Amino acid sequence: MISNCDCINITQGKKQNIFYNFDDIKKQEENKEILILTESNVDQYDLHNENRRQNISDDNALRENDTQTVHDNRLKTMTSFYKDILISIGEDPTREGLLKTPKRAAEAMLFFTKGYEQCVSDVLNDAIFEEKCENMVIVKDIDIYSLCEHHLVPFFGKVSVGYLPNAKVIGLSKIARIVEVYSRRLQVQERLTRQIAEAIQEAVQPRGVAVIIECAHMCMVMRGAQKVNSRTTTSAMLGVFRDDHKSREEFLSLARFT
Amino acid sequence: MTSQSTDIVFIDSTTSRECHLFEFTSKLRTIMKVNQDLPHDSVNLTVRSVKSCTCSNHDNGDSDRNTNAPRKYSVLDEKALREDDTKLVRDQRVQTMSRSYEIILESIGEDPTRQGLLKTPKRAAEALVFFTKGYEQSIREIVSDAIFDEDCENMVVVKEIDMYSLCEHHMVPFFGKVSVGYLPNKRVLGLSKIARIVEVFSRRLQVQERLTRQIAEAIAEAIKPRGVAVIVECLHMCMIMRGAQKVNSRTTTSAMLGVFREDPKSREEFLSLGRINPF
Repeated sequence: MISNCDCINITQGKKQNIFYNFDDIKKQEENKEILILTESNVDQYDLHNENRRQNISDDNALRENDTQTVHDNRLKTMTSFYKDILISIGEDPTREGLLKTPKRAAEAMLFFTKGYEQCVSDVLNDAIFEEKCENMVIVKDIDIYSLCEHHLVPFFGKVSVGYLPNAKVIGLSKIARIVEVYSRRLQVQERLTRQIAEAIQEAVQPRGVAVIIECAHMCMVMRGAQKVNSRTTTSAMLGVFRDDHKSREEFLSLARFT
Repeated sequence: MTSQSTDIVFIDSTTSRECHLFEFTSKLRTIMKVNQDLPHDSVNLTVRSVKSCTCSNHDNGDSDRNTNAPRKYSVLDEKALREDDTKLVRDQRVQTMSRSYEIILESIGEDPTRQGLLKTPKRAAEALVFFTKGYEQSIREIVSDAIFDEDCENMVVVKEIDMYSLCEHHMVPFFGKVSVGYLPNKRVLGLSKIARIVEVFSRRLQVQERLTRQIAEAIAEAIKPRGVAVIVECLHMCMIMRGAQKVNSRTTTSAMLGVFREDPKSREEFLSLGRINPF
């Protein structure tokens, strides 16, 4: 029971990836920060995560429990720090073209990471059907746009997903939605590929799943090595696709990678 | 010209106010450089009016929206916002931006202490400084030693120059190709300098229309040709990755100066020679 003014040491709470409003935090000692809870802000902090559903593959939907207030706080914080960034670049944030840029950039960044607001089990929406299908199902050339977690710069390209069903099929657009949920995060292309494959594996338990992602990385094109035409391909082959090379070949030729 | 005040402080040339960015290095003092090349305003310039001697040069070409008078200063003389950066200043910028990015990462919901994100604030800050490195160079120093006298009367076209810029409204990249053509008037410009002019203007927070105009004006002022034409065709991530989410749409802007504006035949010739192929 939370009393009128309760204080909780949040250094452990930080592991739960809860977003704390900076106004509610008071610094006590060097490494110890205290969260001040009052009746008005206690609803914002779901400290016990009691309502968390069973997620697929330990999916970490970090912003799943956001209320509107928390979302607005995020936006407010990010806006003020984007303004600092503009000043650090050397630009003048009060000139006409940049007046609302911090807010727009903050909203854009929240949009690019909106994959954190949903977990895969929500997205699937129970669109799993019993179907006597034994042949390969491929959804190819799904556009993806993600953010490189090392430089916060976009990378984008196409995903092709194939699976061999085992009496259960998944709604086709749900495959694209799974790709969306995982790609709209701070990602590494290898992890993204693996996560998509494992999500489909867990959802439908097929005989095999294959995912191929081919992307252009702006962190490599716009800066750094500056190789304009280079693209990175990663793949994840599970089940039959890993063991049987004929299935793998069929997938690669149907998805036009050979 | 020197500042009259005995207490010399660092003044941010963009806003003419004391820059709070460097509060923690209050020992940092430098004499603010006054741009000696100012054209029309020299009559009104006094030592005290620090504001008037910098405010017309810092807005990335944006100021003409607010005045009815035609622009009087040349693009070549525009002062680059970070031109006077020392290494110390640059490191401070990166440090401040890293701190901002760390808090932004927390606001997104991520954990900045996990292994993949440990050095991300610093990398992102340095990446952003690189994406805005166009603020560190002035045009005059790029083109001044590559102007040659040449008896060339026919069109020179440098086409499909790759270009990567940042949208100033969302701070999200936009990229594409630029084709530049000009009709020389006894003077030609080094070819790679054209690409460098594109680089300097594109590595900033930009709006595609202004970028096109700035490239055209820089070449026009550098060699005074009979005409300059610039076409820029880009994909805007702010439109593809978010917002309207139109994947295949590209934006084309152009700037035609001199002969290219008046004579449709020259314009046609440029458009066919410098055509940008789909990418």
